[in-house]
Amino acid sequence: MAKNIIDADHVTIRFNLANEKVNNLKEYAIKMAKHELMFQEFFALKDVSLHVKKGEAWGLIGTNGSGKSTLLKTIAGILKPYTGKVKVRGRIAPLIELGAGFDQELTARENIFLNGAVLGHSREFMEEHFDEIVEFADLEKFLDSPIKNYSSGMKARLGFSVATMVDSEILIVDEVLSVGDYQFRKKCNERMEEMLSGGTTLLYVSHNIDSVKNLCTHALWLDHGDVIMAGDAREVCDAYNSRQEQIVRVVKKEKEVKKAQKKGNKYDYLVVGSGLFGSVFAREAYQAGKRCLVIDKRDHLGGNIYTEKISNIDVHKYGAHIFHTSNKEVWNYVNQFAEFNNYINSPVAVYKDELYNLPFNMNTFSKLWGLRTPAEVQEKIRQQIAELNITEPKNLEEQALSLAGRDVYEKLVKGYTEKQWGRDCKDLPSFIIKRLPLRFTYDNNYFNDRYQGIPEGGYTKIILELLDGIDVKLNTDYKTFIKENGQTFDKVIYTGPIDEYFDYCLGHLEYRSVRFETEELDMPNYQGNAVVNYTDREVPYTRIIEHKHFEFGQQPTTIISREYSAEWKPGMEPYYPVNDEKNNALFEKYRELAAKEPNVIFGGRLGNYKYYNMDQVIEAAFELVKQELKRKVIVETNEAVPEV
Amino acid sequence: MGLFRYRIKTLFKYKDLIKELVGRDLKLKYRRSFLGYVWSILNPLLIMIVMTLVFSAMFRHNIENYPVYLLIGRILFEFTTTSTNSAMKSVTGNAALLKKTYVPKYIFTLAKVTSCMVDMVFSMGALLIVMLATRSPFHWEMVMLPLVILQIYIFCCGLGFLLAQLNVFFRDIQYIYKAITTAWMYLTPIFYPIEQLPVAIQFMIKVFNPLYYYVAQFRDMVLNGQIPGPRIFWGGWLWAFVMLVIGVWSFQRSKDKFILYI
Repeated sequence: MAKNIIDADHVTIRFNLANEKVNNLKEYAIKMAKHELMFQEFFALKDVSLHVKKGEAWGLIGTNGSGKSTLLKTIAGILKPYTGKVKVRGRIAPLIELGAGFDQELTARENIFLNGAVLGHSREFMEEHFDEIVEFADLEKFLDSPIKNYSSGMKARLGFSVATMVDSEILIVDEVLSVGDYQFRKKCNERMEEMLSGGTTLLYVSHNIDSVKNLCTHALWLDHGDVIMAGDAREVCDAYNSRQEQIVRVVKKEKEVKKAQKKGNKYDYLVVGSGLFGSVFAREAYQAGKRCLVIDKRDHLGGNIYTEKISNIDVHKYGAHIFHTSNKEVWNYVNQFAEFNNYINSPVAVYKDELYNLPFNMNTFSKLWGLRTPAEVQEKIRQQIAELNITEPKNLEEQALSLAGRDVYEKLVKGYTEKQWGRDCKDLPSFIIKRLPLRFTYDNNYFNDRYQGIPEGGYTKIILELLDGIDVKLNTDYKTFIKENGQTFDKVIYTGPIDEYFDYCLGHLEYRSVRFETEELDMPNYQGNAVVNYTDREVPYTRIIEHKHFEFGQQPTTIISREYSAEWKPGMEPYYPVNDEKNNALFEKYRELAAKEPNVIFGGRLGNYKYYNMDQVIEAAFELVKQELKRKVIVETNEAVPEV
Repeated sequence: MGLFRYRIKTLFKYKDLIKELVGRDLKLKYRRSFLGYVWSILNPLLIMIVMTLVFSAMFRHNIENYPVYLLIGRILFEFTTTSTNSAMKSVTGNAALLKKTYVPKYIFTLAKVTSCMVDMVFSMGALLIVMLATRSPFHWEMVMLPLVILQIYIFCCGLGFLLAQLNVFFRDIQYIYKAITTAWMYLTPIFYPIEQLPVAIQFMIKVFNPLYYYVAQFRDMVLNGQIPGPRIFWGGWLWAFVMLVIGVWSFQRSKDKFILYI
């Protein structure tokens, strides 16, 4: 069995706090005479054991004052254990902490030699390695200035350089590098990794848990001198992290309670509706130190992006939601709250017994006409459009025909559109379709956005993360809440229908609604794709969503939702705003009313009577955050930033 | 014996550190001053001139070659006080370093006394100049001077260790020691001839003031051209080693607790 390079057995370190107060002779004499030189003990380490084998990298983690540095000092021989034993078999090059070990008055050049001597190196040896040290520390220009004029980062660089220049057997790094700049931290990291692979043993103290995870194989978690956990770095770090988060949460909550008491239990914001808009705003307000209450009249969070786990499948209860955006900030933002998979939406269309790829692309055309090249296809469509000779389309049918030709219209547009609107294409106004995007590449990706995906574990998880720590009341209607609780808040963020807020005093805004028939089928795979559109009029539903395919599910059963278009009547679930002239004009009138309510901010799809994709909703929420909270949304990117 | 050998070995291992520390002290002492190391000679010379002007009227007739007499006393006393004073602060002053890395703590004390000794050897230049200026004869007995320097060096090391460890626990010792050194100065025949004192006090000084042994030996060799008598010669060694044993013992006893108080 290989011998451990460091053996610390049951080490206890005792400090005497009382003695620090007695530092003049008179006091000492008096106390001595009275036998009052009592100890006020403080144990910096309590029965700590640590066994390190050669070549291991141990990270020491814990809050301030947990005993990390004390343990390092004990191992380095600076402190003698009160009880227990420390045995070190190897030469330690203590990576001296910030700036220490340097004489402030001496120049860098002189300090290098002094430091080398402290570490037990001869002058000749230091002269040999002098250039190497200076080069690594990158301080050639300042070699002859006194250290007292150096910045803390420069001192750290010099210290690290001197200490790591020789391949010592044990390297001790105590939170030195936090002051170095990015370049230097990277350089240090590389150096340490190089040393580790060369068999050096590392003891590493850092508050940057990620760097501990990256660099160390093992970790020791100390808290007020006690070992909480020791072992695999990843496990210990994760446990530590979750504990810290828990503590932060508790502290935050306590702060909030205090603040609330001060404010007479008033909330800063009442957010009505826990959809994406409301939740993003609530989180950002909460982060800005505001107190929020989120209410929702439904019995669940998330508004229409709500997903429910049924038979281990995330079911999109209010229709398929596929996240796509070209806004990098938004993408990074949502990725903080969930892991997004690589789902790409490529729906297929079923027309009678034929099957076509969507959106209209070369795959579609090739299937329609057996053609192969874009030129052939473009010629074919041109011919079809020319044959009809429609100069001024009078209705939607003529509009679509003039854009895509007869075959595409009849097989893929007509039935679907008629089902959607509940009437003949001939009776629909032409403006509904302004253009029909035709793609002359073999590309089935429905969206053109840079980023696309489905959050693993469903959208509900994102909402839960967003609202973490924020007070939420479900099954709560705004009007009833106001009646019962009065004005216990400063401002309202209202994401419900704007006409409902004003009790429909000017009339109802109209929506297009959808109805879902959801069914669990006893088969692993029903249609082989998440989204299948049915484009002939005879099939009553417009499309079928097979939820499991959004997350590449392998469950034994499957859940499908047939989607029916439904004429909207007041009281029904509003889905798509009908932004025609009549409704837009009505909305403008409501907006004028809203302007008279300075303490209510209307937002989201229903509050603004505007169809939003999810990324647009988030952008809109960001905008409100900027205006209302005077604060920029901070996005923590998950991109690996190598920290030391 | 094994422990002793181990100690010698670590001392040897850290010889470069002592060298660096001594170098640091010397470098910093006169850094940014125009004349630099010349001050090591010039300073005692100037003080000697002032004191000679002041005291020569008083003691002129009793003492032959008063400037040299005075300078010897001054240089040795100056070395004793500066070396012990800086040794006293050697542990507390290097707290930053001691807290961060393991270095035998006595190294710092040793280095301080050593750098003061080097400085003293420099100031011997002043003595040389004065001897030449006053046409004082050079005696062959002066080859034994290094032995006296060694004695006083060992003595100061011992006293330095004692003070250094005391200072860690009671900073008051600095002020107390200041008073002690003032008394010590007047109880050492530096600028007056010892014969002027009452006999009882003369006797006390001759026995109990260690500095007397070193100053007297030095003057015997330089001024009188004679080998010091066995009493003061062996007495000097005895004082040196007794002090060293006391210093080392007290230092060793408490060194592990230093870290908690600095």
